[in-house]
Amino acid sequence: MADESKPFFPVEKAHHVKPPPPRRPRLNTQESRFWRCFRHSELASGLILPVTALEFSPVAPFHLAAACSAAVHLYDGGSSPSLAPLPHSPLSGFSDVAYSPSFRCDGSLLAAGGESGLVQVFRLDKAGPPLRRLSAHARPVRFVRYPRLEDKLHVFSGGDDALLVYWDVPSETQLITFPGAHRDYIRAGSPSPTSPEVMATGSYDHSIKIWDVRVPSSSNAILSFSHGDPVESVLFLPSGGLLATAGGNVVKIWDVIGGGRLIHTMEGHNKTVSALSLGRVGNASTALGGGEPRLLSVSIDGYMKSFDFATFKITHSMRYPAQLLSIGFSPSGNSRVVGTSNGVIYMGMKKKLLQEENGTGSASVFDGYAPEPKKQVLKPTNYRYFHRGQTEKPRETDYPIKRAPKVKLAEHDKLLKKFRHREALVSVLSKKDPTSTVAVMEELVIRKKLLKCVANLDVDELGLLLRFLHKYATMPRYARFLMNLANKVIEMRPEDIQSNKHLSKHVGSLRRRVAEEIMIQRSLQEIQGMISPFLIIAGR
Amino acid sequence: MITGGQRFVASPPAFSQDGKKLLVCTGCTVSIFSVSTGMQITELEGGHTDRVTSVVVVPVGAPSSKFMSYCWTSSLDGTICYWDFASAELIKKVKIQFPVHSMVIPSLSTIGSTEEGSNLYAFLSVEDINKPASEKKALHGQVRIYDLKNQKPVGGLLTETRNPEILYASKNGEFLGISNKRKLHIWRIPANNFRFDEIKKIKLHHTKKLTCLAFHSTLRMVAGGDDTGRILIWYNFGREKFAQNLQNLKGTKNPSDEVKPGVRNNDDVDSCTTWHWHPSEVKFLHFSSDGAYLYSGGNEGVIVVWQIDTGKKKFKPRLGSPLLYFTESPDPSLSCVSCSDNHIHLLKMPTMDISKSISGIKPPFSFPLKHEGSCTQVAFEQTTGLVAVSTEDYCVQFYSLFDNHEVSEVQVCKRNFQPADDVMLYVALVAISLDGSLMATIDVTIPEEKLGGLVCLKYWTRGSLVAEYLLSTVIYEPHSDAQVSSLAFRPGHNMAVTSSYGGDFKVWVHGSHASRNNESMQRTGWRCQSVGSYKGKPLTAAVFSADGSVLAIAAETMITLWDPDSNILVAMIGDTLSPITKLSFVGNSEYLVSYTHSLKPQLSVWSTSNLALYWSHGIVTEAVSCSHDESQFAVLALLSSPGDADAKGNGVIFFFHVEDPVPVATWTVTKAKGGSLAFLPANPSLHESSATNGVNQLLLIFMNGEHEYTIFNPHKEEDIISKNSRKSQAAQDEAERLGYTSIYGDLSNTNAKHNHFQEVPFAPSERPWETIFSGSSHVLPPLTKLCTSFFESLLEKRLENSNEMIIDADL
Repeated sequence: MADESKPFFPVEKAHHVKPPPPRRPRLNTQESRFWRCFRHSELASGLILPVTALEFSPVAPFHLAAACSAAVHLYDGGSSPSLAPLPHSPLSGFSDVAYSPSFRCDGSLLAAGGESGLVQVFRLDKAGPPLRRLSAHARPVRFVRYPRLEDKLHVFSGGDDALLVYWDVPSETQLITFPGAHRDYIRAGSPSPTSPEVMATGSYDHSIKIWDVRVPSSSNAILSFSHGDPVESVLFLPSGGLLATAGGNVVKIWDVIGGGRLIHTMEGHNKTVSALSLGRVGNASTALGGGEPRLLSVSIDGYMKSFDFATFKITHSMRYPAQLLSIGFSPSGNSRVVGTSNGVIYMGMKKKLLQEENGTGSASVFDGYAPEPKKQVLKPTNYRYFHRGQTEKPRETDYPIKRAPKVKLAEHDKLLKKFRHREALVSVLSKKDPTSTVAVMEELVIRKKLLKCVANLDVDELGLLLRFLHKYATMPRYARFLMNLANKVIEMRPEDIQSNKHLSKHVGSLRRRVAEEIMIQRSLQEIQGMISPFLIIAGR
Repeated sequence: MITGGQRFVASPPAFSQDGKKLLVCTGCTVSIFSVSTGMQITELEGGHTDRVTSVVVVPVGAPSSKFMSYCWTSSLDGTICYWDFASAELIKKVKIQFPVHSMVIPSLSTIGSTEEGSNLYAFLSVEDINKPASEKKALHGQVRIYDLKNQKPVGGLLTETRNPEILYASKNGEFLGISNKRKLHIWRIPANNFRFDEIKKIKLHHTKKLTCLAFHSTLRMVAGGDDTGRILIWYNFGREKFAQNLQNLKGTKNPSDEVKPGVRNNDDVDSCTTWHWHPSEVKFLHFSSDGAYLYSGGNEGVIVVWQIDTGKKKFKPRLGSPLLYFTESPDPSLSCVSCSDNHIHLLKMPTMDISKSISGIKPPFSFPLKHEGSCTQVAFEQTTGLVAVSTEDYCVQFYSLFDNHEVSEVQVCKRNFQPADDVMLYVALVAISLDGSLMATIDVTIPEEKLGGLVCLKYWTRGSLVAEYLLSTVIYEPHSDAQVSSLAFRPGHNMAVTSSYGGDFKVWVHGSHASRNNESMQRTGWRCQSVGSYKGKPLTAAVFSADGSVLAIAAETMITLWDPDSNILVAMIGDTLSPITKLSFVGNSEYLVSYTHSLKPQLSVWSTSNLALYWSHGIVTEAVSCSHDESQFAVLALLSSPGDADAKGNGVIFFFHVEDPVPVATWTVTKAKGGSLAFLPANPSLHESSATNGVNQLLLIFMNGEHEYTIFNPHKEEDIISKNSRKSQAAQDEAERLGYTSIYGDLSNTNAKHNHFQEVPFAPSERPWETIFSGSSHVLPPLTKLCTSFFESLLEKRLENSNEMIIDADL
């Protein structure tokens, strides 16, 4: 039986009415709890240029490669609590901007493209010049990928010259070339997780093509379909049968086996989706392959979204303060990195590292003997003795009586409730929040007490009021009310203002503000005068 | 004919003896409400012809008479009636000759004194109508005693006062008191079969005008409230005067110089204390039934609970309006408080939570004089038969006319209401679109010395419930700082118009300026489509035609017609003598009706085809309503000119056909000042009678200046609209929860769990006697146990066998 008497309305609500905002359900799902258990930090790198790609090594300890300006930065995935740069990082054998680092399946080599059109292969265990330099492209190479399965010899590359090349790395020879594979820049691609010979590429000509190097007839893709927007990122989902493509502000999921059928379109982003990655969600033995898979997408609107492609639902979204260009999710499930256009890499590190959990968990299982925790009898010497029973949960048979929720009131609301008007005005003036200050003033007008309050302010409080007035009197939102009030205040308290140096200083600056405002108004009127004839003519 | 909108709070209500019903004086009837649902059950009608002033419920004596439910009512028509309110029957009627303003029957207060033979004395506060009303100083009020059993007055006058005062009796019926200017008069009434000269009286003095008093339930303690908000408590009053016998008194006579703290004029009390919290007049005082607390309330709408021993206070704030009466029910966990906004709140007692509200239509409030012209307090919603009333606490109340109860309330300004002398913020205009899906309100803040005035236009859309409106758009200062004179929706379109005294009108449209890129901009809202003005004149009224094709705006004395879509002035219609107050199109016809309010009142009908005056009358018009499809309209006219200071407010409703300046029908009404008129379609869902007729008849509703209304059929001479056959809205008699269960709820059945143990089916093996003794003797249980199970198994077997035998026998 609810009390039907009216609630207490805080003063701001009364005087600044806004239609209620569309309500968003408070997310407290398992998913959001999972994403919350990451500790966030910036991966200190001092980079300025955009981080165009982030790639985790497929083998433990899951090193991270980040392409930024003319270098590929390497971070140790095994270090904790934060990813630390490897000793030989960065790899700087690039004459121009580096793009698209890709680890070999055993994690010992890394291939990367570049603005110069050269594809280079580096070793990761120690510093040194590139092992192989593959040159075929005439334009920047934005897409270099090792096949995902056990194939250590070949690499795919695609460039802005619309050329797709299948390399034999040891001999630096082009096994297959697809000249004019697309009609525009090739910017994205993904090797199939099920076959080392199959590769999907996406291009700015809106099309996605699937290539198979076993098919002898060159220059014809085995499958081609159109995304509808320039394709920024392509990713095979783990089954190999589904393909996710990002372009424009949508992510589309395609059925590759079914002949390139569109299955779902995810429209969660407001701006261009720049990168896709696979992630795993869930705490239970996430170590490798556990947990539910998620498709992570980042966009230059600053949002990272987690998409469950089993149910086709966006399960989580996270906002970052910059345009996002790249994303990586460690296969260990411990870290998540997001690269931005201003060179910052945001990192989320799991608060409890997963492998440690596993270690302790298994130990107790194998012991076979788990001692029962001894229940200590609380004694009055114990501090907790005096708090016993306070956290007790009600039993099923208990009849809980809820205490009425306490209403939190602002200081000025409390004072207004007690009709202590001057104190309320002073307290809200010292808060320096113009919205609530004006609301309190309007409330005082309704109570016919504002002028009395002004008359009763002492010199310091009058100083507060004048400072507020000179700061906000010309603000268009409050000007009509505050200008009148300023007039009244100066009319009412001339002696105080003249006798006190501080107050007259405030009034002086208020006058300057008003003079400025008059100038602005005048120039606006001039502009209006100039424009209005045009408008009238246009109206005819 | 349906009437409704009565005032529930003109006199204090009374609970029935079982605490399940509340008897409320509503005009010349008594309505009985169910406490559990807050709905009306029955009405006691036919007894009185004037306002009922008090209800006294006869208490239940013996348990055998538990189902008896009788009450006495007194009225201003000079009669006292005796009712059986369970069956709503009048049993007895006693004539008094004087208008009774208040009645108490002290001997009823003591349970068991109602047996046959004892006399029933009623103490009446009556108005002496023999004295002319022009004598201001004359003593009009009298307190008399009346023997209800023998129907004759007893003795002379107890006292005479300037005006009839309200009588208060103590709970045990021993004391009776009134407040008379700055004094309290208290009488001690001897128990049964008293003689008139046994009644003794004392006076208690104060320096301020006393407004109310209350007697303590057990102690000799009386509390009085004055008009400055002080509460005085006199302890142990009348120790000398009311002593049982005079001899005793002489023996124990106190010296007169005894110290009596706080007592004035050597009154006959031990001491007097003063509490002060209320800033203005105390309206009620009430001691709790256990005597530990004192409840007080007044203009500020807060119930203050005083702990009598310590003087500590607890508050129940934000009841929304000045409080009038506090009534306690026989059930200690329930009481009710009457508010002056025509609401009776039922309070759950120790916590004082409002469990239910009996809400009548809210009374009108006075606008500040300067702004009176531009206010309409009432808007009618045609489709569902609701009326929207703007209230003093910044709400719009939706009231169902046919069902006579409140439907909902929309808070227009989210501000805490404090009853104050002068209104600074009020809801000035309310308009509802024809289909009821949209509402617009205008609230006005009056500036404090030209500082901070604000006019605020709000658009609301209907929510999922009936008369639930959600705020969609707020427009601050729609016409800069000029007052808005009128507000109207265009029928059939999402369009509205506001006109202002500042000389311009604005046409508002509801649009969604959705832009694809920005999601936050996809919210829909109202925006100004066009602005117009006519020669800079103040625009005093605006209205759309019934089909929405023409917008008529009155620019003082001229009527201008506009095309609302293209905002083009189409035509002007000629001159009235003074500024037009209101305009209205007559149905679908080409006629417009307008009236002016100033010194030269005029009701005019204009023809839009000829652009000329059709006919006019020089009558003082208060309201006009036009039916929607027929060319008829009704006019509420005052009989006095607006200059008259002491206008009685009597008026006439004229029912015109537009072609004919002679009215088709007329009705005289009272309290027409501030009244309003509207045509409503008879709602077939509510009226079986009209549904059977098959004709969708149009009903006319007249709401008077106090928001009491009458619905009648203007076409019939003798209108016989059956009284809304109100379903009895009484709740099923649920088991009363008192004492322990009312606080902690029902005890859950803790034993239930034991019964849930799965009954393991006893499945004896086929031949237990074969296996039961097998095994080596040191493993076997003791023989005593084995034997019982052995015999049991035999018994089981035997039972089955016997069942089979019975079945065999049946076959």
